[in-house]
Amino acid sequence: MKKVGFVVNPIAGMGGRVGLKGTDGVVEKAKELGAKPVAPLRAKEMLKTFLSFDSEIEIQWFTCKGDMGENELRECGIKDFKIVYSSDIPTTAKDTKNACERFLEERVDIILFCGGDGTARDVFETVDKNIPILGIPAGVKMHSGVFGVTPEATAKTLQEFLEGVLTTGDVEILDLDEELYRNGEWKIKLFGTALGVIEPTYVQVGKATFESISDEEIKEEIADYIIEQMNEEKDTLFILGSGSTLYTIGRKLGIDKTLLGIDAVLNGKLVGKDLNEKGLLSLLNKRKKAKLILSPIGAQGFILGRGNSQLSPEVIRKIGLDNIIVVATPSKLASTPFIRVDTGDRNLDKLFAKKEQIIVIIGYRLMKVVKVQTNNL
Amino acid sequence: MREMTEFLGREYKEMEKQGLTWVIKSLNGPSEPHVEVEGKKCLMLASNNYLNLANHPKLKEAAIKAIEKYGAGAGSDWSIAGTMDVHVELYKKIAEFKGTEDAVTFQTGFAANSGLIPQLVGKGDLLISDELNHGSIIDGVRLSKAERAVYPHSDMSGLEKILEDANKKDYRRVIILTDGVFSMDGDIAKLDEIYKLAEEYRAMIYVDDAHGEGVLGDGHGIGRHFDLEKEIHFQIGTFSKAFGSFGGMLAGSSDLIKYAYNKARTWLLSAAFPPHVAAANIAALEVVEEEPERVKKLWDNTKYFKKEIESMGYDTGNTQTPIIPTIVGDSKKAKKLAERLYEEGIFALAIVYPMVARDKARIRNQMNAGMSREDLDFALNVYEKLGKELKII
Repeated sequence: MKKVGFVVNPIAGMGGRVGLKGTDGVVEKAKELGAKPVAPLRAKEMLKTFLSFDSEIEIQWFTCKGDMGENELRECGIKDFKIVYSSDIPTTAKDTKNACERFLEERVDIILFCGGDGTARDVFETVDKNIPILGIPAGVKMHSGVFGVTPEATAKTLQEFLEGVLTTGDVEILDLDEELYRNGEWKIKLFGTALGVIEPTYVQVGKATFESISDEEIKEEIADYIIEQMNEEKDTLFILGSGSTLYTIGRKLGIDKTLLGIDAVLNGKLVGKDLNEKGLLSLLNKRKKAKLILSPIGAQGFILGRGNSQLSPEVIRKIGLDNIIVVATPSKLASTPFIRVDTGDRNLDKLFAKKEQIIVIIGYRLMKVVKVQTNNL
Repeated sequence: MREMTEFLGREYKEMEKQGLTWVIKSLNGPSEPHVEVEGKKCLMLASNNYLNLANHPKLKEAAIKAIEKYGAGAGSDWSIAGTMDVHVELYKKIAEFKGTEDAVTFQTGFAANSGLIPQLVGKGDLLISDELNHGSIIDGVRLSKAERAVYPHSDMSGLEKILEDANKKDYRRVIILTDGVFSMDGDIAKLDEIYKLAEEYRAMIYVDDAHGEGVLGDGHGIGRHFDLEKEIHFQIGTFSKAFGSFGGMLAGSSDLIKYAYNKARTWLLSAAFPPHVAAANIAALEVVEEEPERVKKLWDNTKYFKKEIESMGYDTGNTQTPIIPTIVGDSKKAKKLAERLYEEGIFALAIVYPMVARDKARIRNQMNAGMSREDLDFALNVYEKLGKELKII
């Protein structure tokens, strides 16, 4: 018996249809402009696909009253579920959080939510990394790594997770940087790493037998190799990007690396923490040689342009494209077959596009070549 | 508490529960197209005996004569006192057959790869490997101290990217390693393009032609197929597949051969294979040259089976050789099909996740020069019946 917590953010995605960049705080305006609910349809598409699978797994559903889950389950023919939360109308972010708290109390195996980046943040802020979360894409912004590509793909992912084919690992939660947005700037910020559903990494041990290696182990391996490289290059400034793979490198180096920020290391010592663009430029102006280590962030495999706007085009040009080292676990690459960049500078993006493929470090002394895609070209 | 041998039984049961254990079925006679498997008559579609040489009278006769002359065993390692003149004769024969300066045998192809690769490179070197290479190459690579780069299967732009990147670093040696024919899909390595890139970027080429020998290049293998016999720096092969006998081989320059048998631990630290194996291997190479119709028949069978099974609606992937997969989707379906094939009198192997992608589980069918048109039609009829039964076609 598997327990699934199911919550729908009924207003998610409404802003997008009427040209708004989200629905947070503007739902009334969206309705005035003629927006129709998106999330219930997406949730039902997902559920219908999920129910069509030939499966022996018994599921106990936990959900919320009315249009936060109950209606969708009922309309898809699921009758046996437990309502653990009732919200006021209209619903707010608080309701998603309350529902997730109730799911935690019920000790569900996974939370399935329907919404966008804002909803993902609400879920993540409540459950942290205690249980895996999986998103049905229905929002305006979906940069976070918790979403299936389509409702149908989400159904398959849920099924394979419940069957034990897929495993859990770090995925990034990204959303609009509201502070900057209020000043008219559109930047995507990294909010944290949640526990998501990921593809396991296998190593052949027999002929038909394989052992899965955890993402944590692989991150350690990657870190060992990168640190060897760093030790060989004295006086090179190493700039470490954000996310859990880079965090592991920082931890193994014995420095106080930030999970979400950009930090700098010189000869094994932390020389800059949670740097902004200005801080990065001033460090770069002082050093002759610098290397930047990045890992893909979020759902689409972006190494630049999602969650790390500090790494501005000027910073990247100063470092030089050839001095960028990309690291990723094989699970990460399984979910995103491309490395993407969106620096906000068309000419710089073009330079990346010209590379066509990029070498990614995926283990100890182990590399793989991965295709590059750039936005808007 | 520290555990003792109880883990053996526990882990075996776990593997068994997941359906990952090998259920070994033994043959009651020689490996031929028509076999008896534990009392049941079957058509064999799972053997590597492509040219049907495993039970060939000339190979058997050569082996018997060698036993009479040299006895049953070699008595020692090749390095100490186990090399007999029949072994040396075989080395010469291989070099001639492969068009190289020299050659040497290994106990198996696996021993050749896992023993040689780690001796060719060290720290500061780079091994570049196709993602679908055989496990013995993977193990050889794992045992080395070199850096390792993997390119997507047969993706030449990916390979070039790695080579380009390698030129920016100061590697001492760079070797590109590839299977000649890929064992799960039956496609051929793009060795002509690999050669061009290797020349351009100053890299060496290492090819394991286990499934290409006896099949490509009039039976001489991938070197002859691409007219690159002298250009491949390291040619690994085996007598255990199309050549119907047993043992691995390495062909290349005389420097390579002397280096290899002085450095490869698998060669140095295990016994020579028995003299009659060497004699049978020599006979096998002679038969391939004397009976060219065998290779031709293998290809006729391959073309016919592939065309017919595809026209039924089966997906055979990217095969270009006598390895013809029938890709059916998920692992359960592939296992079910293998089971039903066996019940209907066809012996074929299901290849499932994670050996292949989750939605690419398959039966691997291997053609044989000894199969008649009736044999193939029998197999095709069974496939048609089961394809409908299991809703594959």
